Amino acid sequence: MRRLLTVFAVLLGAALTSGRATAQEIQLTGPLAGAPAVRQMRLHRGGRFEIAPTISFTLLDEYQRTILVGGRLNYNITDWLAIGGWVAFGAVHTTTGLSDHIEEVTNGPGGRRATEPNNYPTAISVNNLLTRASIGSPFKNQLGTINSVISPQITLVPFRGKLAIFQKIFVDTDAYIFGGPAFVGLTERSDCPNDVADCSGVFTTSTRTAIAPTFGLGLSFYMGKFMSLGLDWRALPFAWNTGGFDTHGGAPDGRFPDNKINKDDREFKFNMLLSVSLGFYLPAGLKSSE
Amino acid sequence: MNQARVSLLVVAALIAAPSFAHAQKKKKAPKPVPAAPAAPAPAPAAPAGGTEIDADAPPGAAAPAATPEAATEGPAPEGGDIEAICKIDPSACPTVNLADAAKKDMHEQMYAVQQIYALRYHRFEIQPGWNFTFNDQFVSHPGPVLGLNYYITNVLAIGLGGGYYFNNDSKFNAQTRRAARVAVPLTEYQWQGALNFTYVPMYGKFAGFSDFIFHYDAYIVGGVGAISTRPIAVVDPDNRSFKWGSPKVDFNIGIGLRVFLNRWFAIDLEMRDYIFIDKLENTLIVMGKETDQSTWYDQTKLTNAVQAQVGVSIFLPFSWEYRLPK
Repeated sequence: MRRLLTVFAVLLGAALTSGRATAQEIQLTGPLAGAPAVRQMRLHRGGRFEIAPTISFTLLDEYQRTILVGGRLNYNITDWLAIGGWVAFGAVHTTTGLSDHIEEVTNGPGGRRATEPNNYPTAISVNNLLTRASIGSPFKNQLGTINSVISPQITLVPFRGKLAIFQKIFVDTDAYIFGGPAFVGLTERSDCPNDVADCSGVFTTSTRTAIAPTFGLGLSFYMGKFMSLGLDWRALPFAWNTGGFDTHGGAPDGRFPDNKINKDDREFKFNMLLSVSLGFYLPAGLKSSE
Repeated sequence: MNQARVSLLVVAALIAAPSFAHAQKKKKAPKPVPAAPAAPAPAPAAPAGGTEIDADAPPGAAAPAATPEAATEGPAPEGGDIEAICKIDPSACPTVNLADAAKKDMHEQMYAVQQIYALRYHRFEIQPGWNFTFNDQFVSHPGPVLGLNYYITNVLAIGLGGGYYFNNDSKFNAQTRRAARVAVPLTEYQWQGALNFTYVPMYGKFAGFSDFIFHYDAYIVGGVGAISTRPIAVVDPDNRSFKWGSPKVDFNIGIGLRVFLNRWFAIDLEMRDYIFIDKLENTLIVMGKETDQSTWYDQTKLTNAVQAQVGVSIFLPFSWEYRLPK
């Protein structure tokens, strides 16, 4: 073991001490002194509008996945700063395997409500009693749903460059970050009327708007003078009741179910989306830097 | 004593070895070109006092006619090296017609990225990082990861990688169990290790705030290895206590982005899918055999553990020599 350590130490030392002056240090003097980092750079953004249809996919969903269809409109004040917004609507909602399993176990033909006593309060099984306040039929109707997102946002484009793919395809690329407030249209299980009644058998839903911060980062790949392909990741953190469950509000300290649905049952979620966009830039003409 | 000998031998070998990587293969010295036969027709000699060549003029008119006297007499030419060569040895005088030559295709080769900033050829890469779960909403598996790669070519590397996992059971599992009385089989990970191959098909550069330039590349990584997992007892935790069993074979494939801060240090972002067949906890309790371990497991499931990794790359040796200008 000691021998192995000795050899390893020697190898590591030799590798670390084999430094040598690099071949291409940036010249700070001479004719390039004071020259811009990039000459004749194509200015894809500065002074142009960007209209980008987007399709977004929610990530790490617990009970329901959502595909949002929308668009982004930006005005690029400079090549590195844009103001605009993103609007999207939940077009497709699909349940996860967990939701399907809950539905099957609870409401399915061979489920508990069909096979176990289910007459409240005279004859009811423990399973049906304890799920009575939390699971309606069908289960998917009570799930929290993102209906729409409206987000005015500022976009910063600090990095601009190009990408070589197999030394055959070359595309202008930029990396951007964005942020702003978001107004999220939600459908959730309705709060108990007056917040006092036992509404364990009520599974109606209602809509509300959650206000949340949103931020993210992305890449644009320019396929021509006025078109780009974009990919971005977006965080949208806010509290909501994704499963429509009664999880909080009861004693002690509100940590147990209280047979009432209200804002105590909302959980903070770090919601995330992945978006793909196709951007169009107007005017179509492209300028270059000096 | 033996240890000292071995260490001395290793040190001697290291001293003898070159201390930096070569970015491109060393070119062999050009073989001597056999002498060309003498040109049969001597070109016209330049007139005294030098010659002006009009590249746009038709063939034959490129240079004014010269008299034999001018070719052999008069003062030494002042027009430059070509005229001097023609004066001294007319047979070696260039006979290229510049007008025709200008019309030929140049076959000029332009590089989108001139002289790759950070070459990887024959360099080691040490890749420490931190791993985040990307697709398991039930149990997150963060943890440290480490990769060691050796670049056989500038775009292809072979290496070893591995990681250790911490496991965080999400709060929503307990809430689901309580609200829906449904138990979802959960799995925790212990470690994974793999033999990996990395291919770097893309590279480029970014201008940051139009002020400074940094380089990046994108790579594809894939490999085969083993992962150690076990179920978290959620159905019958009073009786079931799972042990880390035999590691399972796993395959991994992913993509990554490496941003170079200098020629030997980079920041990495990576997304990798670890694919393996997992054994899950039995969601049913066999009455009377609660402690029989053969009843604890039920189904097997193909698992895709998608993980995002953030880390750094350290390339060794730190520098190299370019062998070609481009």
